[in-house]
Amino acid sequence: MTIGISTYLIYLALSIALTIWVARTLHKNGRVFLVDVFHGNEALADSVNHLLVVGFYLINFGYVSLALKLGYAINTAEQSIEALSVKIGMVLLVLGAMHFFNLFIFSRMRRRANERNHPPVSPDAFTATAVHQEA
Amino acid sequence: MFALTVLYDPECGLCRRAHEWLAEQTKLIELNFVACASDEARKRYPQLNHDLTKKDLTVVSDEGAVYFGPKAWLMVLWALVRYRDWAYRLAAPELLPTTRRVVSMISQNRYQISRAAGFNR
Repeated sequence: MTIGISTYLIYLALSIALTIWVARTLHKNGRVFLVDVFHGNEALADSVNHLLVVGFYLINFGYVSLALKLGYAINTAEQSIEALSVKIGMVLLVLGAMHFFNLFIFSRMRRRANERNHPPVSPDAFTATAVHQEA
Repeated sequence: MFALTVLYDPECGLCRRAHEWLAEQTKLIELNFVACASDEARKRYPQLNHDLTKKDLTVVSDEGAVYFGPKAWLMVLWALVRYRDWAYRLAAPELLPTTRRVVSMISQNRYQISRAAGFNR
């Protein structure tokens, strides 16, 4: 196996591992947001969560695949490490951007859902309720 | 807010019919129905002006917020899964005057409407 091929294989292994790690983190921690957004409807929350993660995988693996080509020959270990650092750095930045984009979607969905918790009109008055009276 | 108490007029056929319809709707907020100016209503809300609740629909939240007339109707709509969006639409500044007019008209003529529609079985 030439050093060029090993570079590609290391790049793929690292990128795929990183993508899976970020996607799992999103999947695990995003669920709480979605359950809140969908008023405790866990089946719907799980479904949307799963669909979001599938999109996340598609975009990231798509990027990893497109960015695979180096365009120059690698002859030494130094060149290999330098090439890997650039490629992996790009993958990390794309993952980071996607991660914050997902967080933005979660928080916007949650804000939208909470906006609907406000009554449409303001009360005309306030009165004591029997429960409050006893207390 | 988790529950609304609806003080309705038990004498009115239209209100009873509306009550039956509401009972079948899926709710986001619990609705409790209490006849207006009844002993139960006086016990629950000792400070409320109960003569006024006979004039128009009144809704009281579990936090003690009182909504009267058209606002009470909007709050009841808002409690329903299917009509929450409509409550916001009808409460928007452009539509609120019309909502108020239509709701007040129905409320004031509720006995005539009930009789004409044959709700007074």
